[in-house]
Amino acid sequence: MIYRMPRFDYLAPGSVEEAVSLLSQYGEKAKVLAGGTDLLVSLKHRKVGPGYLIGLSGLAGLEYIRQDSHALRIGALTTHQSIAGSELVKGNYGLLATACGKVGSPQIRNMGTIGGNLCNAGPSADSAPPLLVLDARLKLVSTRGQREVPLKGFFTGPFQTILERDELLTEIIVPSLSPRTGGSYQFLNKTTAVDETLVGVAALVVMGDHPKLVEDIRIALCSVAPAPMRVSRAESVLTGREATSGAIEEAAAAVANETLPRSRTDYRRKMSAVLTRRAIREALAEATV
Amino acid sequence: MKQKIKLTVNSEIYELEIEPHWTLLEVLREKLFLTGTKKGCDCGDCGACTVLVDGTAKLSCLMLAVEAQGKNILTIEGLANGKELHPLQQAFIDKGAVQCGFCTPGMIMSAKALLDKNPAPTEKEVKAGVSGNLCRCTGYIKIIDAVLAACENKRS
Repeated sequence: MIYRMPRFDYLAPGSVEEAVSLLSQYGEKAKVLAGGTDLLVSLKHRKVGPGYLIGLSGLAGLEYIRQDSHALRIGALTTHQSIAGSELVKGNYGLLATACGKVGSPQIRNMGTIGGNLCNAGPSADSAPPLLVLDARLKLVSTRGQREVPLKGFFTGPFQTILERDELLTEIIVPSLSPRTGGSYQFLNKTTAVDETLVGVAALVVMGDHPKLVEDIRIALCSVAPAPMRVSRAESVLTGREATSGAIEEAAAAVANETLPRSRTDYRRKMSAVLTRRAIREALAEATV
Repeated sequence: MKQKIKLTVNSEIYELEIEPHWTLLEVLREKLFLTGTKKGCDCGDCGACTVLVDGTAKLSCLMLAVEAQGKNILTIEGLANGKELHPLQQAFIDKGAVQCGFCTPGMIMSAKALLDKNPAPTEKEVKAGVSGNLCRCTGYIKIIDAVLAACENKRS
């Protein structure tokens, strides 16, 4: 296929202040351009036709991965490849590195940003389940000020979020993990050009005093519902319980029941359970090291 | 509205007038006549349009030409040193890794990005390195052999 994009004017703000000022000025007529791996495809398919593109490539200050005493902070323009290759993320937040390391292809990972991935809000967004179980928060900036919102509740439907028309996502904040925490991201792929995720499961466990006692467990999935989701009913199956094989199986079955797949329903439900079991086991292993 | 831009491609500086909605791929092929970079799917799935941007493999079909300013763009045309082929190019020929040749420039650019970061990759790492480049002809085996052979050539 050969595509000609619809015409637009290209605006190049040099700062976040300038960017949100432009967003507020142009409103519905403008779209924000980060890595371009989602937006330009939409433009080529003529799904959107903004008169203005606000290019963020000049905002180098939004590319960072930093750890302070409270949290891991990731700039919204940080590429998937930067996150996947970061020793800091691989060491302490391995599930996020795994997820970002399987997005698209090497070239797409070099271009696509974590902020763009979240704001595009695709149901199969790999970065979402790990960030959901990590209880990530998002910093949203506009000319009206800034707010911090939990990622849980950010997605409202396929490609829909609570982001206001004039807001820019600038930072992803991941609270520091307590000791005896382990995580995992497990996935299966569709057979597509860039191996889109068929089912993705992230699990995070926090162990209690006794060897197998699960103090806290969080599970999130992508590609099994209109948006990436936490499965709170399934989580309560293992919370405060000993992680026996039976308990893990129960939790896995509960996860499958909570999913809402739109297509390949039976297979996705079955695989949700399989991947949940694997994710919990891997998370437990990491937590008890 | 047309915009004047300056692009650095294969160490040469080009001054052009372009429209903001033109992709880097379109500008490379239609304005600079560097047709080695191919337009396959034109939507980020096939990798035929892969170029190196400051040493990093990217899809030129998903890059706006205006955003390629201030970067060093390397295309397949920039690999050979006069008549002397780059070890990757020679290896692709020697190993029979070229059939129709359409995927080849993109494959070589992805392979170059890999070898520049990891000069002695395993077979698994080579496969991962070109996993964003589709080939309809060869079945990939000779392409992987060629990339591995190029490492040998580079070392000796």
